[in-house]
Amino acid sequence: MTVAAVSILTLALLIISVILVISISANMGLKYVQDKIDIRVYFKGNVEEQDIMAFRSEIQKYKEVKAAEYISKNKALDDFKAANAGKPDILKAVEAVEENPLLASVNIKAANPEQYDIIAKSVENSSYRDNIASINYQQYKLVIDRFNTTIKTIRKTGAFLFVLFSLIAILITFNVIRMTIFNHGTEIEIMRLVGASNNFIRLPFVFEGVIYGIFAAVISIILLYPIMKVVTPYVVGSAYVQIIQADFIRYFVLIFIAQLFVGVFLGIISSILAIRRYLKV
Amino acid sequence: MIEFKSVKKIYTGGIMNTCALDDVSFSIDEKEFVSFVGHSGAGKSTILKMIYAEEKPSSGEVLFNGEDITHIKPKGMPLHRRRIGTVFQDYKLLQKKTVFENVAFALEVSGYPNSEIRKSVPQILEIVGLSNKAENYPHEISGGEKQRVAIARALVHRPALIIADEPTGNLDPISAWGIIQLLMKINKLGTTVVLATHDKEVVNNIKRRVITLDQGRIIRDHSKGRYAI
Repeated sequence: MTVAAVSILTLALLIISVILVISISANMGLKYVQDKIDIRVYFKGNVEEQDIMAFRSEIQKYKEVKAAEYISKNKALDDFKAANAGKPDILKAVEAVEENPLLASVNIKAANPEQYDIIAKSVENSSYRDNIASINYQQYKLVIDRFNTTIKTIRKTGAFLFVLFSLIAILITFNVIRMTIFNHGTEIEIMRLVGASNNFIRLPFVFEGVIYGIFAAVISIILLYPIMKVVTPYVVGSAYVQIIQADFIRYFVLIFIAQLFVGVFLGIISSILAIRRYLKV
Repeated sequence: MIEFKSVKKIYTGGIMNTCALDDVSFSIDEKEFVSFVGHSGAGKSTILKMIYAEEKPSSGEVLFNGEDITHIKPKGMPLHRRRIGTVFQDYKLLQKKTVFENVAFALEVSGYPNSEIRKSVPQILEIVGLSNKAENYPHEISGGEKQRVAIARALVHRPALIIADEPTGNLDPISAWGIIQLLMKINKLGTTVVLATHDKEVVNNIKRRVITLDQGRIIRDHSKGRYAI
């Protein structure tokens, strides 16, 4: 029975740990992608710089916009050269053209990734639309959507599974501890008769629950690494396995503390529930 | 010290409700030695349980030192129990603990310091005459001795009241009389004793107050009573 209690507690802890690791990683991945994305509004070659600046200051007024950076034609060329520094063919081709072939642009970063649609639409419909050569943002939308749905699915199924297994764990631990209490029936009766406080009577059984929780936490942290290795590719796709495993090692202590905390918490809840009826006055 | 005011106790359940106590009123003063007598089911144990607040009356009041204990809060319960020592027919000793440890247990759970335990327990064992059995386990001693251990445990935290529910029920007449004499000695030292018994010999020899119960009612309350049903 003790084995049953510890193993079901371990299972609950493993589920919460896997969810924790994956959602930490997915969040970090999302943040990484979010930092890279922006809306690039390219202006036609004949548009004056002051018009572009006017557009920039207007767009900055929106609360959805976190930042708007002006990139002049020259800056664009420098950036392009720097990006292609190792490719002499391309550099030569650029220099062969007398006039700067690149367009000036404004890079817009949204406060919230879900607002790129709104921003892009309002730019498209603004009074500046005749000056705009193109708006570029579509390419990141898919990645963001995928991250968002993945995180949401993980959280939902994870929370459901965690609650389910926590309940099962509490139920089983509750019964195991109740058996221990039953075996100590006379002792509890005598304790009550000679005036032991309820906490004094409760303590050893709560301690038992705590021990189960600690055991479960230790076992699950040992099992977690191999499980993560097997499970992650199915959940988030093999591309992110490396990131997740790196995160796992980085957050090892945090995860273990979380497991200990949850394990001990479940153990205490179970034991308090189990002893409750024996303390009724 | 103890006062019952028209206490009723009805056990619900089963086919019919059972009336364990019906309009019971009495009071017990400090340093009294009171015996409750009556057949099984007359309500002796119910009265005793109400004194240590294990049972609550269906109606009426139970006062302990003027304080209503029928509405005692769970938190106040341990403190109430520490004012009372209890002794039962089945001794209720812990088999895995020695005589000394069994007696010490009552002090440990109330949070007494070790120094106090090492001092008090031998004194009490001396009073009940078990100093030489301190390191024995309950299964190594006789029934009478077991009951002495139980009395020692009930006494060790120096309660003002000892409740003994059929303490001689499992004992031969000689051991039983020894236990009663011990209770009388404790009473003489200043502790109130409330005894429940259906042992005629015992009651007739005590020659103290006897309250006779029948079917949940007090039918007799004599200050130098005899067992007469």
